Amino acid sequence: MKLLTRYNRVNLVTTIVVMLITGIIYYQAISLILINQKDTDLGVEEREILEYTKLNHHLPQTFESNDQQINFSEAEPGSVKRHFFNTMYFKKWRAHNHRDHRLRGEYEAGRGLITAVTVDGKYYKVTIVESKVETEDLIRIIFVITITVILLLLVVLSITNRLILGRLWQPFYSIMNELRLFNVADTAQIQSVETNVDEFSELNQAVLAMTTKAKHDYKDLKTFTENASHELLTPIAVINSKLDTLIQTENFSERQSKILNDLYSAVSRLNRLNQSLLLLVKIENGLHQDEEKIDLKALIEEQLVQFEEIFQDKDLKLTCSLDNKEIYAARNLVEILISNLLSNAIRHNYSGGQINIVLTAAELEISNTGEDKPLADEKIFMRFHKSSGSEGSGLGLTISRQICENFNFSLRYSFQSPMHVFTVKFE
Amino acid sequence: MKILVIEDEEGLRESIEEYFSGAGNICETAPNYPAAITKINLYRYDCILLDITLPGGNGIEILRQIKENNYPDGVLIISAKNSLDDRLNGLNLGADDYLVKPFHLSELMARVMAIVRRKTFNGSNLLLFNEITIDLLAKEVKVNSTPVKLTRKEYALLLYFIANKGKVVSKNAIAEHLWGDGIDMANNFDFIYSHIKNIRKKLIEAGACDYIQASYGMGYKFTGQ
Repeated sequence: MKLLTRYNRVNLVTTIVVMLITGIIYYQAISLILINQKDTDLGVEEREILEYTKLNHHLPQTFESNDQQINFSEAEPGSVKRHFFNTMYFKKWRAHNHRDHRLRGEYEAGRGLITAVTVDGKYYKVTIVESKVETEDLIRIIFVITITVILLLLVVLSITNRLILGRLWQPFYSIMNELRLFNVADTAQIQSVETNVDEFSELNQAVLAMTTKAKHDYKDLKTFTENASHELLTPIAVINSKLDTLIQTENFSERQSKILNDLYSAVSRLNRLNQSLLLLVKIENGLHQDEEKIDLKALIEEQLVQFEEIFQDKDLKLTCSLDNKEIYAARNLVEILISNLLSNAIRHNYSGGQINIVLTAAELEISNTGEDKPLADEKIFMRFHKSSGSEGSGLGLTISRQICENFNFSLRYSFQSPMHVFTVKFE
Repeated sequence: MKILVIEDEEGLRESIEEYFSGAGNICETAPNYPAAITKINLYRYDCILLDITLPGGNGIEILRQIKENNYPDGVLIISAKNSLDDRLNGLNLGADDYLVKPFHLSELMARVMAIVRRKTFNGSNLLLFNEITIDLLAKEVKVNSTPVKLTRKEYALLLYFIANKGKVVSKNAIAEHLWGDGIDMANNFDFIYSHIKNIRKKLIEAGACDYIQASYGMGYKFTGQ
């Protein structure tokens, strides 16, 4: 749910609840005041009647009036208790026709007062009823006004929210967008967003500080990797040269020469691993070597010559379909890319297997037979992910992908039984 | 052949010295910048092995001095920095070759021999080894004027062996020389064996002695006798 929607929802619900409560309080207060007013009126009327009877010693004449009806009826002395009550008021219409004027009319809400009066020793019950219709009208108007205000508020709120809040949140969305595009390996700094809202400028600063730190840490880590790999080169060189010197002394037993062979293999593997790490850092640093026009077909054919013996040794069947294709890239990196993909196709193949190489203007596809199940798609491009029993450094595909990204190519893997297919798409 | 090794790492310096000494070669060493400067100004060498990062100064500076004084010494840079810039910088300044650490001593020897050959034979492109004659320009091999047809890799291997004659060359060194260090050959030295078998067969058929000996399963040795 969007913050705006949620905010609107809360806002609207509270507004409506508050408006309704105020409406009810209003209603109660106003009707209380108006009833009091009516009761005072009724009291005045009662006093008038009492004074009149005291003065004239007979009951006053009752007049038909639009908003007041007075009724006298004899009653047992002391049986009437003075009280106000809500009742119905029968309002007669101002009839044009005199005959049926008693029948026509309508009931309205009314307020009555029952009291007693004694005239000439006779006890009368007096009922005074006044129409409350004005009061009701007033209340109705108040109610309508309240509802209108609520509706108006709803409309105004939703419009302001939509217009102003949308604009208010703009810096937030800009920051979000910057964050989404953020890449620690990128050299470009995140853009600061212009805003005079404190919260957003704070967020902006926090984001800037965080990304700068992330970049800095990443750079540190990269520098560390680079330095560590560089520092390793010299000891590896010493081990290598000492081994080369050692085998000159000759007279080794079979066991000793086996150990020496293992040492050689381990050192050469260590060296390759170290070189891969250095290469990876170098590519990630984006230190572009001079890019040049490369005849990819010729380059692949050169590489294939390098691998010739290995193809023969493993009895691999190679089918090539190479179109002419020129790309603009750093030669040594493209050589490493092709060599890595070919080595993989050979290493993970079985004796008597098959390798297909297809080069078109749009893509280079290298596919090989191997284990008859797909590889873990994205995992294989991760650093040091190796299939069991692989003798590789676990960096080959990472490097390959990095090289591809460097030149805006894409490298994908798919399994089209029984072939494992690696596709480099140019552009 | 007279060699100067300018290298601060003691272990590496000693190994190179030991590998290059003997068989008519003289190998001198310099562990730091001042020692190196003194030696290059006093003596002439067929080839100077030059490390870039040195205590007391930069190897590039030494190279600059050699070139400024027009010393004819061949220069091979050995550096831990495998960046194209360094390489181009070194070669532009007049270094003859550039080798990245770590390397096999046999590879270093082959490179040094190539430099020395270019320097001392002054354009002559014939390499003689007993009854074997190699035309370096045409890449042709003859045994007592009988031409021997070698493949590209066999030819490279023969040159490598001759440069390292009398030394045991490990299979790893051979593999890296022929296929580059990018290819993981650790478990598959059979190709080397078949290459070597072919060279031996071709040379013997052309009338040469059998110079290549297997050495304890670790490598091969090209004997000079």
